[in-house]
Amino acid sequence: MRRTTAAARAALITGLIALGAGCATSGTPETRQADANAPAAITWWSTGGDDESAAFQKAADLYTKSHPNVTIKVQTLSWDDAYAKLLAASTSRSGPDVVSGGMTWTIQFGLRGGMVDLRKYGVEQLKAQAQPAQWKSAVSPDGTVYGIPLDMSTEALYYRTDLLEKAGIKEPPTSWDELTADIGKLKDAGVRTPFSIDWGNLDWIGYFNFLYQAGGSFYTPDCKPSLGTPEAERALSFWIDLHRKYGAPTDTVTTSDALDAGTAMVYGGNWNALGIDTSKPKLKGKWAVAPLPAGPAGPTTFIGGRAVGVTSYSKHIQQAADFVKYLYTDEAVDAVNAESKARNVSYLPPRPDKVADSPFQPQQSEVFAKIISTGAAAPGCPGWDESAGDVAKHLQSAILGKADMKTALGEAAKVMERNAG
Amino acid sequence: MTTPAAVSRHRWRRHGTSYLMLLPFLALFAGFLVWPLANSLYLSFTRFDGVTAPEFTGLENFRRLLFDDDRFRHALGNTFLYVVASVGIGTLLSLGLALAFSGSGWPHRVMRTVFFLPSVTSSIALMLLWKWILNPGDFGLANTVAGWFGGRAVEWLATPGLTIPILVLMSVWGGMGYGMVLYVAGLNTIPQEYYEAARIDGATSWQQFRRVTLPLLRPVTTYVVVTGLIGAFQVFEAVYIVFRGTNNIGGVLDSGLMIVPYLYDQGFTHFKLGYASAIAWVLFVIIFALSMVNLRIGRALKEL
Repeated sequence: MRRTTAAARAALITGLIALGAGCATSGTPETRQADANAPAAITWWSTGGDDESAAFQKAADLYTKSHPNVTIKVQTLSWDDAYAKLLAASTSRSGPDVVSGGMTWTIQFGLRGGMVDLRKYGVEQLKAQAQPAQWKSAVSPDGTVYGIPLDMSTEALYYRTDLLEKAGIKEPPTSWDELTADIGKLKDAGVRTPFSIDWGNLDWIGYFNFLYQAGGSFYTPDCKPSLGTPEAERALSFWIDLHRKYGAPTDTVTTSDALDAGTAMVYGGNWNALGIDTSKPKLKGKWAVAPLPAGPAGPTTFIGGRAVGVTSYSKHIQQAADFVKYLYTDEAVDAVNAESKARNVSYLPPRPDKVADSPFQPQQSEVFAKIISTGAAAPGCPGWDESAGDVAKHLQSAILGKADMKTALGEAAKVMERNAG
Repeated sequence: MTTPAAVSRHRWRRHGTSYLMLLPFLALFAGFLVWPLANSLYLSFTRFDGVTAPEFTGLENFRRLLFDDDRFRHALGNTFLYVVASVGIGTLLSLGLALAFSGSGWPHRVMRTVFFLPSVTSSIALMLLWKWILNPGDFGLANTVAGWFGGRAVEWLATPGLTIPILVLMSVWGGMGYGMVLYVAGLNTIPQEYYEAARIDGATSWQQFRRVTLPLLRPVTTYVVVTGLIGAFQVFEAVYIVFRGTNNIGGVLDSGLMIVPYLYDQGFTHFKLGYASAIAWVLFVIIFALSMVNLRIGRALKEL
């Protein structure tokens, strides 16, 4: 009897493992497509906030008006758990038809069979309307288009007009030399923290701006790591100086908090511009935005944003892809712009020609349009996503004095080379 | 003569209803615990990105994890340091608080409630509170208070040397009230006659504590230490909410990287679900081994 029980127990465990093996995933079978003329209910998982989803819903509703057979529901995923939810949806091959999230997410899911190649549905005709560098960063290294830019984000110099005036500075700095000179003047005028970095502080995004402004880049055009150049060293040296010599905090403070606490100049994301007057009413009329000060090679600034694509497990791929293309029409972009403005939610459209109509104040939109015109996007080279975290760590070690500059850059390049495959 | 079949029928008649009533639990237990565990064990021997079919790779994940992965070793080192400090300090403080506030008067009850409060508060809310306290510059409470006494502002979350002490502080503060309640319950089970006998024999307070209180609290200590170890090895929210950067889950220079955040990072941001499963099983083996050692030590001490 005891032997029988033991055997049954062993069989149960073996059976469960076998069951696990069988059910872990059944691969990536083709999803049967619904009739293209039949009514389609499309679900869009939009990473971001509820107000952003509501703005996208406006465009979706307009699409439904002209395509009565297609209804689209935009559902919000928070940034914190969106990636895990999308991964779970891809694993189970059930979930949304359209997804939007980080710029490289559609590529990462696409390379694993979770997204549709949108070239088959004619999205390449939209390329001319998009910001070239951002479009390039949305395209996978082998040229496949698993997602297209949904919006843009960039970085600007936020400054306290009253504090600059107090230090006798008439205009915000336009070059690295002016930036450091102004930091000195602000210190002399009694400003305790003249400068800080919000977006990209101690991260590769922060270095990105200095690197490109010095004339460098993370990779050569043929995707070889290029951090061993004098430009890369110059950029890192300047970044280190901003922290160690000019007192930029290594801990990250949000743009609005920093300005509120008396920091005179902050590098922050464009989205901050809409919230400052609301969250810090006493700052009203005392701050403005400008492009980042240019380096020796120019003012190139990082452009990020979100990408949108169609899942390979959707039953309505044709309709979903058509809707994604529709998001670049005047009608859709204008609707999202208008709703974003009404809800005071940050949105920079993926079409540079429409940035002027974005929810920001005209002066701010003008600044963002100028930044975008010369902006660059994250490297699209193989292995970059796997390397980004480690590259940031090596850069941190140089800023925090744990490694010398050349060693840090050399180690970062090694990581990039190893992950390039 | 009673046949085995008859015994079986008799047992079924006697316990059948109980087995039937257990079925809903067993179904949930099998579906949501046993099956995922078995699945994760299988996946730990595969390369699996979550989308394409898993590819069997034998022990490769474990080999790479134990011999080639510097980041895992770093996470392991951080975790051990954190576990030793947080469980050690937490247990001592729990016992200290229990000794100080084990009475039945209302001041003791109030103090016990105050120290127990963090245990019944949402950990996410607590971590956000800590993040706010440790904000840099003049916004954080810690720096504001330090400023009142002429202290300089500290960049708490961007100073690698402070990361583990901060994590230990958060853990001890949040967990010592729970340990205290268990110790108070343990203290109340010790018969007063033992102390009276010890006093008659001339034992000092310290001797009473060492020879009576501590030995009789051993089962509680074992429980507090084992559950503390398990919880500390699985630390996640504190690292994820307070120290995570844009591209790095472990904070500046990975100074707060622990095993479970590393597992999450590998599985859910790098599509390495097979590798993440291997990390989970290594963590299971570590916790299991340490719990066994702790239980054995507890048993050995009891036999002394």
